[in-house]
Amino acid sequence: MPLDIDRFSKLESPLQRWDPRVKLFTLGIFVFSVALLKTLPIACIAFCLAVGILRLSSLPYDFVASSVKWVIFFLLPFFIIMPLSYPGEAAFYVIGLPFAWEGLQLATLIFIKAVAIILTTFSMFGTSRFDVSMIALQHLKCPKILVQMLLFTYRYTFVFIEEMRRMQIAMRARGFVMKTDMKTMQVMGNFVGTLLIRSFERSERVYKAMLSKGYQGELHTMVKFKSERQDYIKSALVLSTAVIILALDFSGLFLPAKQGWF
Amino acid sequence: MHISDGILSAPVLTAGFIGTIAVAAYTLRQLDLDDIPKVSVITSVFFVASLIHVPIGPSSVHLILGGLVGVVLGMRAFPAIMLGIILQTILFGHGGVTVIGVNTMMLGGGGLMAYAVWQLRHRFNINKKEMIFGGLAGATGIFSSGIVLALSLVTTGEEFIATAWYTLVAHIPVMIIEALVVGSCAAFLAKVKPDALAGQLPRAVPATAAATKSSTNEDSPR
Repeated sequence: MPLDIDRFSKLESPLQRWDPRVKLFTLGIFVFSVALLKTLPIACIAFCLAVGILRLSSLPYDFVASSVKWVIFFLLPFFIIMPLSYPGEAAFYVIGLPFAWEGLQLATLIFIKAVAIILTTFSMFGTSRFDVSMIALQHLKCPKILVQMLLFTYRYTFVFIEEMRRMQIAMRARGFVMKTDMKTMQVMGNFVGTLLIRSFERSERVYKAMLSKGYQGELHTMVKFKSERQDYIKSALVLSTAVIILALDFSGLFLPAKQGWF
Repeated sequence: MHISDGILSAPVLTAGFIGTIAVAAYTLRQLDLDDIPKVSVITSVFFVASLIHVPIGPSSVHLILGGLVGVVLGMRAFPAIMLGIILQTILFGHGGVTVIGVNTMMLGGGGLMAYAVWQLRHRFNINKKEMIFGGLAGATGIFSSGIVLALSLVTTGEEFIATAWYTLVAHIPVMIIEALVVGSCAAFLAKVKPDALAGQLPRAVPATAAATKSSTNEDSPR
């Protein structure tokens, strides 16, 4: 799983050039409109749009796939649970369990929408530097305190992953093997506790250093945003498609997924 | 443990966001300036700890530790968990942008419930109470998250009732593991760095204890 989602933010593409503020706002609204869809054909169209936007961003295929495969893995149980547990008429029986087409339709809808949204998330946050995205969020009236904490957390995550790897190597060197027993759980508890204390003390040192450099709860940045006509044209395009798919979805031209495929 | 995008209905998603904003606004107001780096540090520790996989028989689960956030951060657990969820959404695509509200209510609410259980330890005077109440807090964190998850599924539609039951049952082994890990972690912290735990009573060092301590130091053969 790639933790540094902004690894490819320096590539050249229409999405990387898009003003982060406008990009986050626009794609955010697109994501919410996808989440509200209820019919399968429109969800498929939204999925294609999400793929299209991602293709524009020229993010490498492997990079996206390595994260998306986990999400797909978590969504697969729905294809088994939903058809077998849907209340209503059973089309046929699988080893004594009623199988309902409505359940399968619903599972498909959930799957398509979820993958579409995740792909769009990559277009949103994979195409600008993380700190730039966060400052853009602050410009979009996200609370200052929240943005700062997100930035700190993101930065510290990499430090602590290193710390954790070191501790795990030390544990393995002393012959520790994870099992399903009390001892393992106790060792893991102590492991997490040690990680906590070390991080606590590190953060105290860092905080003192920040204070001595004049930190007063404000982050000063040299990032400047500039939105031009092109930014607004891209935004208008995406927003109008979002409105169109929502309108088509609610128009009643297609059946909701619970009632049929089309 | 999160719910994915595209499952819940719009009213449930909206309720999640409204609840999250209300609780987050209340808990964020209690934060001081010097809490900001501290809370973010704890958040990233939990973020990292959730990458640890613990084996259960042939498969494995990853630690969630929502209960431990409550034990360590108290009321500040809620914004911390919210940060963790936002970051997970951005970095991994787990969950999704539209379910940030529901997921925060689910796990952050669990953290707050765990803190409530953790605070009950002051009422009892027994041996190993950090271990017992830490364990209970860990289990409570998962249990109440499971309940919120099940409720949000059921309120979305009756076709999800069976799914809700499956998820509740699937939470039982996770609950046991979390209880053991959080319990021993709380006992460890109580021994090594009690100040790191939330809701500790201020420790007044009795004058006699301080005096005996210094005198024993003088008398010690070293």
